[in-house]
Amino acid sequence: MTTPRVLEGVNVLDLTWFGAGPIAVRTLAGLGADVVRVETESRPDGLRIGGPRPVGTTNLNLSGYYNNFNADKRSITINLRKPEGHELGMQLVRWADVMMTNMTARAIRNIGMTWEEVRAANPGIIALYQPMQGMTGPHSEFGGFGAVLSTLCGSNYLAGYEENDPSGVGTNYPDYVVNPIHAATAILSALYHRRKTGDGQLIDMSQLESSVAAMSGPLFAEMNGGPSHERRGNRHAMFAPHGAFELEEDPNDPDRWIAIACTDEDEWLSLTEACGHPEWAADNRFATQAARKNNEDALEQLLSQWAAGQTGQAALNLLQGAGVPAGLVLRASDTLADRHLTERGYFVYLDHVEAGRRAYDGSGFHMSATPLEPRNAAPMLGEHTFEVATEILGISADRIAELVESQVLY
Amino acid sequence: MPGPLDTVRVIDLSGPIGHYAGRQLADLGADVIKVEPLEGDEARTFEPRIPNVPDIESSFQFVLLNANKRGLALDYETPAGRDTLLELVKTADVLLESFPPAVAKSLCLTDRDLRAASPDLIHTSVTGWGLSGPYADWAYADIVGCAMSGVMALAGFPDGPPEQLPDFQGYTCASIDAAAGTVAALLHHQATGEGQLVEVAMQEALSMAQETAMMTADILQVDRERTAGLGVFGVSIPGIGLYEAADGHVFYVGVGTAGAGFPGLLQFMRDEGAIQDLDQDPYATFIEESFDRMKIIEILSDPEQSASAGPILAHIDRVVGTFSAARPKQYLYEEGQRRRILVGMVSTPGDIASSPQLAARDWFIDRDDPGRGVRLRYPGFAWRLKGTPAELRRPAPLLGEHSDEVLSEVGLTPERIRALYAEGIVR
Repeated sequence: MTTPRVLEGVNVLDLTWFGAGPIAVRTLAGLGADVVRVETESRPDGLRIGGPRPVGTTNLNLSGYYNNFNADKRSITINLRKPEGHELGMQLVRWADVMMTNMTARAIRNIGMTWEEVRAANPGIIALYQPMQGMTGPHSEFGGFGAVLSTLCGSNYLAGYEENDPSGVGTNYPDYVVNPIHAATAILSALYHRRKTGDGQLIDMSQLESSVAAMSGPLFAEMNGGPSHERRGNRHAMFAPHGAFELEEDPNDPDRWIAIACTDEDEWLSLTEACGHPEWAADNRFATQAARKNNEDALEQLLSQWAAGQTGQAALNLLQGAGVPAGLVLRASDTLADRHLTERGYFVYLDHVEAGRRAYDGSGFHMSATPLEPRNAAPMLGEHTFEVATEILGISADRIAELVESQVLY
Repeated sequence: MPGPLDTVRVIDLSGPIGHYAGRQLADLGADVIKVEPLEGDEARTFEPRIPNVPDIESSFQFVLLNANKRGLALDYETPAGRDTLLELVKTADVLLESFPPAVAKSLCLTDRDLRAASPDLIHTSVTGWGLSGPYADWAYADIVGCAMSGVMALAGFPDGPPEQLPDFQGYTCASIDAAAGTVAALLHHQATGEGQLVEVAMQEALSMAQETAMMTADILQVDRERTAGLGVFGVSIPGIGLYEAADGHVFYVGVGTAGAGFPGLLQFMRDEGAIQDLDQDPYATFIEESFDRMKIIEILSDPEQSASAGPILAHIDRVVGTFSAARPKQYLYEEGQRRRILVGMVSTPGDIASSPQLAARDWFIDRDDPGRGVRLRYPGFAWRLKGTPAELRRPAPLLGEHSDEVLSEVGLTPERIRALYAEGIVR
């Protein structure tokens, strides 16, 4: 018996690139949709050009950045700016149940795939447009990648410490979960509506709005008479201790930290016992949540001294054994080797013709009846051009050769 | 036009890690009934608080993440309370909860228990570690998820601690995945009548936010480190990154594959009379010949080339810095973008509240909250489904606000409801 798939028989046209779009569509592909990704050789997805990739290579099929976000898809290379290419693109629009793009409005106009054009060709389609700031408004034509968006949506300002520059969290954070999975939810909901009514629809998704919505706590407070946001780094508005503490210095494995958060009296008392410092619990400075918060500097100093004499795994077992929320600051290689993630099978290893066997992120959610973990490695650029051209577009081999000759297909 | 999930009922038993999941389903039109213990949800105690509103109803976080839900206060740890809960569950399509496995077991609310009551239920579990594996019953907090997912190792300054993500992104990402999984399960239920377990672990939900770090470790056996915003390139390049403006900061992506690039930024500076000597040599020739991201990375990684190019790059960087520091961030952002320079400004909550773009799109929502005696301005929704638009139908429930209404709706007799109140099982 084959495993049922939620989106069996759903056709998806993937006109996205970089992070937020491709990850959203990867989720649909995992759910069983037939995803055709249109790419070009003249202007490939920036993530195909980037890395990580084996040292010294430039091959567009070897980027781990691209491959992780594009599992389970097919790739066709079409030059949408040529008239025949545009017609093939519109044929895919007519084939599709769902279309998604995160190009700017200008780029969408240039390839003739605005909502009006797409709807005219396929009235039942669900089309999600995900430009940085949405399809309307004075900033709708503004461009940028996740790094620009991170500053605009507040991520940079909200993170980090007051005394430091608002440099962000080291990544283009909204690109990887917030915007793509919000988009997937929107598309899945539109499909649910379509199965009830037969109606497709336009989804206008501003990455700015989606990102702000996901981190709007400080904004909501400030707009309604609450306090202004304080840039307090690892601290919490009301709980202490709440932070990261450096562990015993090991010259062979430096810079190791443990995160600890106590959010109620039980956790605090357990922490003092586990650390072997029951006297902290009797100290007036730390007698209540409010007192601990008021004396947070002193409390952090004591915990730092304790942590500096601990090794990671032992400290983690000690604290978690006592029921204290604690976790090691894992590096990426640690997550790949983490016994919990490994036992749960979170990372999936897939074979790619050119890139070899590589780790892929699993799905952020699991479904018992309709599993959606990635099954097939990302497509090579244009890997399925012939297949899609014959199977979906119904073009003969001779005609394909002509279109390749005239650089409509690559 | 009702929302796409307007025929769906969700029982939301979740704690803070799942609040935003329930909120999204409610925004999509589902009837989300939030079931709280009699003393109220833990988030009701969270600061900061709405001024002049009674304590238990005043938490900004609670009010924000529970809008659009109805509320029932029920002691489901008692047998009668648990029976009542299961009767509710039988009328629902989805049960959303956040109990670690041992807690679910002690409450007799495991997936098996729930499925016995309602065989085609969609049961969405969102927790720190998931329902299986060696850490399943470990304690968690948002910062712990950030740590154990690998994202925290990437954030912060080399001489400071690794830093958590802002505003509880561990819980937020777990909730976003839980909502997506729930709607996917609804689609399957719509087609087949079959329910299932949807399971989310915060540690996994955050993993994708490691950006390139996991793949870098897998392919190159190298761990990315925290670099205070140097990002994937790991080196400082003029025209890429954070610059001080007169009143805050801006961020340029001045050398890249899209937009006007560094020439556009130079032209902006030229037009404003702030180009200084960059049109003269050695800078002009250097910019002409070498100003490409990959080329600069190559130069900087070669000690010999780097020694001669270093001072030139540093000077270019200073001129960009001087230009930026003399101008307001909003101006650099809007005028820069008009010139197709990829530039953003570091927005504070106040900047976002007054964003001309968000205002033009009517993103914020003003709504009366008669129960709390206030009128609040809410951030808008994450998406705009133009055929089935989201609405803010109701403010977050007061504790027990809809207890009576909900219990009547699911068919409990008035006598039984009175008894539940009298026995202190419902509030």
